[in-house]
Amino acid sequence: MEAWQESQQKANLYLQDNFAIGSSQVVRRFELDKVQEPVLWAKDPQDALELVKKFQSAPELQINFLSDLTAYDNADKKEGAGGRFVVVIQLLSTLTKVRLRIKTMLTEGQPMLSLTSVWPAANWLEREVFDMFGITFEGHPDLRRILMDERFHGFPLRKEYPYKQREPFSDNVKINLDSKDAHS
Amino acid sequence: MSTAPTNEEYINLNETIETSRDFYNPNVLINLGPSHPAMHGTLRVMCRVNGETIEQSKCEIGYLHRGIEKLGEEKTYHQWIVYTDRLNYCSALNNNIAYVMAVEKIMGITVTERCMWIRVMCMELARIIDHVICVAINALDMGAMTVFWLFYHWREEAYTMIESMCGMRLTTSYARIGGMSYDLPENLIPRLKKFVEEFPKAIDEIEGLLTSNRIWIDRTKNVGKLSSEEALAFGLSGPCLRASGVDFDLRRDRPYYVYPELDFDVVVASGGDVYDRYLLRMEEMRQSVRILKQCAERMPGGPLWVDDRRVRIPEKIDVYTKMEVLIHHFKIFMEGIDVPPGEAYSCVEGPNGELGFYVVSRGGPKAWRMRIKSPSFMLFQSFEKSILGEKIPDAVSILGSVNIIAGELDR
Repeated sequence: MEAWQESQQKANLYLQDNFAIGSSQVVRRFELDKVQEPVLWAKDPQDALELVKKFQSAPELQINFLSDLTAYDNADKKEGAGGRFVVVIQLLSTLTKVRLRIKTMLTEGQPMLSLTSVWPAANWLEREVFDMFGITFEGHPDLRRILMDERFHGFPLRKEYPYKQREPFSDNVKINLDSKDAHS
Repeated sequence: MSTAPTNEEYINLNETIETSRDFYNPNVLINLGPSHPAMHGTLRVMCRVNGETIEQSKCEIGYLHRGIEKLGEEKTYHQWIVYTDRLNYCSALNNNIAYVMAVEKIMGITVTERCMWIRVMCMELARIIDHVICVAINALDMGAMTVFWLFYHWREEAYTMIESMCGMRLTTSYARIGGMSYDLPENLIPRLKKFVEEFPKAIDEIEGLLTSNRIWIDRTKNVGKLSSEEALAFGLSGPCLRASGVDFDLRRDRPYYVYPELDFDVVVASGGDVYDRYLLRMEEMRQSVRILKQCAERMPGGPLWVDDRRVRIPEKIDVYTKMEVLIHHFKIFMEGIDVPPGEAYSCVEGPNGELGFYVVSRGGPKAWRMRIKSPSFMLFQSFEKSILGEKIPDAVSILGSVNIIAGELDR
């Protein structure tokens, strides 16, 4: 077994001991995904931020890198009936080479806490999540659309958003020509 | 020339003319891009400049947004392979392989030995092409045309090899879930051996042109500096992270496929400026050549495809002659591959950094969520900060050195 697999296993054991159900106030569920990477379900956004800060200082983990921050729709309630969206935080340590994932369930309209105070890298990632899902982030310095136009309504990656919907922008310039077939 | 106005008089003179007032204004707003040859692709940076110094900047992205992540929820796993070509179109092979790797992880498939070696070879070839583009265009932006001509010859050679493998030069779509679309052509290994023999000479030649070139050093040294703390905080990965002095490479630290068996070094620099990124990319190309050499020597035989009926695309000759195989073929292409429920985050060390695919499956032939973690997204975010205090032409050289690909940035 290689060194990174060993430290990943050690981290998995550490997380299992400390955050498996019953032994922790902040984690709702602990599981391993298809490639044996740990997934922790934080009880609420506040707990997610707390977990991130705890993992930064834990010697088994030494998390120092935000790999990715994204979300997915829970419209089919397969992840539980308690919420509409799942926010996913991918974390990595360049020191121990450990990878792990924190998830939080949000109801529609419930804000997530911003990670920009921990990593400035979260800035654009959170803007993208807001752009695509309409999830707001408390404490974000500049929360506005990033990939879509600012005039755009709707949130494209929500399941109810139709795949081929077009959205003409409201301020298209009207043409007022004198000829009889002109648009008005 | 005694009648010429003094500087102060000149300013007073010009203040009365409405149009030239902006020249002395410390709050001039300019747009770099979105349509400018130096802004690779469609990138736009709005800057407030004082003279020529950029004092504030904001990036505006999304001009190439095609909704690829939404398409990932509408197309089957197999159909979506072609969309991955359109992410980082300079190294499409890397994207193909990183994506099928994620799906294979959910399905619990381990590809065959030969397939692993072919994939590693493809990824290193793509890395060389990407680094060649980055260095050549970066030099071209600063006026070094010769570097561009010399280097692009080798990019063409590499593309010709890729063309002989899969029939495409740019949009390869080479990887398939569980294997590759074609086996290697017979003449590829001799060709690759010739390439790894001759390409390092080109690297030496380019280094002779640039590394100790006074103009190049003046334009690149101490430009766009990022410390290792900043690089980690901004989530940079790949060459830019290593140029800032962080010793992290997924090929060595969380290896996949046959990388543990291969002999190569991880290149680390310490300056974090444009010059160090250039040096690092040159050395990384040499390391990729080392890996390619080992691939050419050790390429094993054996089956290319994994023996798994769920994903195995039947041979064409059997499709035309056997009824059952025809049905099987039809099912794979019309219905798609049934991927069990589950999720996986799979990433490779792409040429620009950590390229990850986060796939959430609810079962069936389509993904529930297809997330692309693109390295360019993080790199461009840091670009906004690293150009502060620099001159406008320096912004161009910094942009070239971080190698942002708009297709991957906007998805």
